[in-house]
Amino acid sequence: MWLNMGPQHPMTHGLWNLRVKIDGEMILDCDPEMGYLHRGIEKISEDRHYNEVITLMDRCCYVAGFAWEHLYIVAAEQALHLSPPERADYIRTMCEEFQRLGSHLMWYAAFVQDIGLMSPFLYAMRDRDLILDLFQSYTGARLTYEYMRVGGVRSDLPPGFGDRARKVLDWLDQKFVDYDRLCLGSTIFRERCDGLGVLSARDCVATGVTGPMLRSAGMKRDVRKDRPYSVYKQLDFDVAVADGGDVTARYLVRMEEMRQSVRILRQVLDWLDHHPGPVLAERLPRWLGAPYAPQGREGYLLKRNYPKGVGFSSVEEPHGEAQAYVVNEGGEHPYRVKFRSPVFANLSAARHYLVGYHVADIPPIMGSVDICVGEVDR
Amino acid sequence: MQPDDLAKALAPRLGDRLLGVETFVGTAGRVRFRPEAALDLFRAVRDELGFRHLSMVGGIDWVDHREVFYVAWSDDARQYVILSADLPADSPHIESATPVWESANWHEREAWELLDIGFDHHPDLRHLLMPDGYAFHPLLRSFKLHEPEELEVKQRSV
Repeated sequence: MWLNMGPQHPMTHGLWNLRVKIDGEMILDCDPEMGYLHRGIEKISEDRHYNEVITLMDRCCYVAGFAWEHLYIVAAEQALHLSPPERADYIRTMCEEFQRLGSHLMWYAAFVQDIGLMSPFLYAMRDRDLILDLFQSYTGARLTYEYMRVGGVRSDLPPGFGDRARKVLDWLDQKFVDYDRLCLGSTIFRERCDGLGVLSARDCVATGVTGPMLRSAGMKRDVRKDRPYSVYKQLDFDVAVADGGDVTARYLVRMEEMRQSVRILRQVLDWLDHHPGPVLAERLPRWLGAPYAPQGREGYLLKRNYPKGVGFSSVEEPHGEAQAYVVNEGGEHPYRVKFRSPVFANLSAARHYLVGYHVADIPPIMGSVDICVGEVDR
Repeated sequence: MQPDDLAKALAPRLGDRLLGVETFVGTAGRVRFRPEAALDLFRAVRDELGFRHLSMVGGIDWVDHREVFYVAWSDDARQYVILSADLPADSPHIESATPVWESANWHEREAWELLDIGFDHHPDLRHLLMPDGYAFHPLLRSFKLHEPEELEVKQRSV
């Protein structure tokens, strides 16, 4: 019998449909059905100025907007032969790491709620709000920031930001202890999650699974270490790994990643305190400014003579390894933009970590995968 | 790994079906090949060069032809490689990479429905993001954003 879990189901965390073939309570097969959130972001990008695509990136993954902005910006700058000032690079890294914290807290909240815990859900949402407050203080938005620009970032950080951010980090550092006690300290949690949804490292590689799911199977792979982009080369941090590849291992990896993010952020904030400077590259082509149409003859000539290029970037997004491929054919719009979403690959492997378990195991397993449908469907 | 290393390793396997290896910023190189060499190349790249992790499959509509590209990662070399083939615009099709890299499955389904690239011997080539029976390929340049199309969508049988 085929059972539809979705498109509206508390387990889905977004709009998609998990069709499972069951015999009694046992899962025999499954077939995720995507596309309910397909907005054609790749197609719309072909009709936008380079900076206007950033607006779409925030909507790609609505809990990790900054990571997607960063991904696109790195590829677009490569395609346009531009580079940002160093301070802008540090600010972007800070944005991405805060976003990782925000995204993982959102995952924690959703995941513990899936297995029936209500208080940790409220704690995590409360702490995530502190990060959103920080975002609001320098971008004006809590979810869709539109902050990064080709060639830098929109504006510098407000005065006193570093101290406020450090306060949030200190608070989070304390709270992680509570989070762990609430989950790992609970026998009910351990019995529910240990040995559930196991995905081996071999299957991970074969099916293209990346991110915390891959690291929870014991593979030490992180784009930030393996192929450092932005300023990650200058930062000191460890890659979180765990063994087992089950739901508990994924929990451990994400919790450790949050601690490492706090460690990275302390270094980045210190650097930003001592290195003032410009945050947007000088001498950007005038037609690049999104709200301004090419002005007069000069802008037109610049646009026509602009060299072609291709950009490829790979970023460790909170869910895994995201990639962007941007083709610049000399026009004011990108000719083609292609994104690789990590959740897309993690979800395509569903058969490997669902078959053989029970229907009641689906919410904790899918909760541990950390699904964001916005970036799967794009 | 440099583009020259890639060319040296692949040339004996592929002969003149290998069209060249270009430098590509941030990767080991961009391998251009004839579509009929697809499976041989995929196997050589995965088994001999160690690119065991296929990250994505994408396509580009160049109007006069269509390009399909693959991005793969090697844990030993800690590098990406890009494989790219040009397909004729009138009947773009290539051998499916799914038997070699299982992860190609969904990416090829997406490239097929959005760009009308056929993947021969794909185990499960059906719509992924678009509804069943959707007759258009939105990422083609001929699909204009500002002209709404009339859609007739078949009901999916459960």
